[in-house]
Amino acid sequence: MTKTPQADPSMIGGVPEPPFVLLPDPAKLFETRAKRFAFLARHDANLAPYLTFLADLTALQAKLLASLPPVPPIAPEKARQAREFSMPPVERASLAEDPTLVATFVALIAAAADLEMPESARQALSAVWAADEEDRRWLLSNILSDQIPEGAAAPHLFAAAAVQIHMARLAAALDPKALIPVGVGICPSCGGRPATSSVTGGQEIDNLRYAACACCATRWNEVRVKCLCCGSTKGLAYRSAATHEATVKAESCAECGSWVKILYQVKNPSLDPIADDVGSLGLDILMKDSGATRGGFNPYLAGY
Amino acid sequence: MNIDLSRRSFLKLFGAGAAATSLGAMGFGAAEAAVAAHVRQFKLAATTETRNICTYCSVACGIIMYSKGDLNAGEKAELIHIEGDADHPTNRGTLCPKGAALKDYVKAETRLTKPRYRAPGADQFQEITWDEALDKIARALKDDRDANLIEKNAAGTTVNRWTSTGFLAASATTNETAWLTYKTVRSMGIVGFDNQARV
Repeated sequence: MTKTPQADPSMIGGVPEPPFVLLPDPAKLFETRAKRFAFLARHDANLAPYLTFLADLTALQAKLLASLPPVPPIAPEKARQAREFSMPPVERASLAEDPTLVATFVALIAAAADLEMPESARQALSAVWAADEEDRRWLLSNILSDQIPEGAAAPHLFAAAAVQIHMARLAAALDPKALIPVGVGICPSCGGRPATSSVTGGQEIDNLRYAACACCATRWNEVRVKCLCCGSTKGLAYRSAATHEATVKAESCAECGSWVKILYQVKNPSLDPIADDVGSLGLDILMKDSGATRGGFNPYLAGY
Repeated sequence: MNIDLSRRSFLKLFGAGAAATSLGAMGFGAAEAAVAAHVRQFKLAATTETRNICTYCSVACGIIMYSKGDLNAGEKAELIHIEGDADHPTNRGTLCPKGAALKDYVKAETRLTKPRYRAPGADQFQEITWDEALDKIARALKDDRDANLIEKNAAGTTVNRWTSTGFLAASATTNETAWLTYKTVRSMGIVGFDNQARV
């Protein structure tokens, strides 16, 4: 028997209150991202080799989740204290020696040996594998402070993949209601920098902008038409290659000379903050030619 | 950023310094070069997103106006789209049918963009400059006020009423603008005054 649809007046006339943060669901996050990388690889013959490699690496991140030891959540008392001083609850600086993160790193580089990759990548991977504890800690702490020293992009890429797994699991266990804004363009969970921001589609969050943390994958609400690097609302232009209809644009700020990619998920819900950042490498090349500084942090795109 | 000197021996293991980007360092330099060759045939297009307030009523909904071209770079901007501003606390991205049709309002061929004047007895409007228009308005107001200002009522009390001219102010204003408008209009003695707060 079919049910008669009932009127639901509560759906009408309400003023939606958008959530401040959208915390990651690690299993879904890496699985969806791997699929997106694979999709992009099928549709971009030029960049396909790199996108395929990253699809495999992201699929490996998803696979590892099941086998890793549990991540101890941030103590509520510590989170409360951080909140009191407008600080993010996850203190990244102390994590480079975290045994779970180190175990994650070791598991990742061990399993990554089975992936197909060019000779230089494999060389870097074996260098990381052979590296001593101190060198590995150096890699992790660089990624945990959003920097990649010049000329060392390859080993940091593997370190970043491990950090992403650990941080997403850590962020997933936070209480979203206890998170508060800590500054423009700064992740309220871990204090990290955004990779990109996205104009989201969907009920209650339609046409809002959420920045995506490059480190812990937390997404947080940022007012649109505002520079994520300096907070200026003046002199912003949205640049894209050739067409005004692009779904990935460079939000560039005339005040500070930086730019961060903005993804219009409202036009294409499949866009992924990391995968489509790499997929739109062409925009980085054009923006670099124009002399602007890339503000979004993505260890898969170091050097741009 | 320079390479940390103490890491030299570690970095030497994978030929550090050779490649500046992730793609180069990971051995995907050919893919990177192919993307660069492909994309460099295109020019960067610029869109501007501008916050504004809907012109219609006193609810003052937030809007985002999209235009082609970057005014900051000396280009000419052309409006291509207007939508509700989801960040704005008043309307959270929603617009009424009139607000949703704002682009047609901007682009309308019949939209008044310059002051126009129809001379007494003429059957057509003619374009005039802003200076001419404001002078004409000021002249007309002054003449009317001089002729019709009621300075005292029947009891001899000073009232300074100007009842022969009315004033209709726009709605999409801030409290401060509304306050200034009120003070300007009332100080001249105009009695018939409304802020077009309800459309």
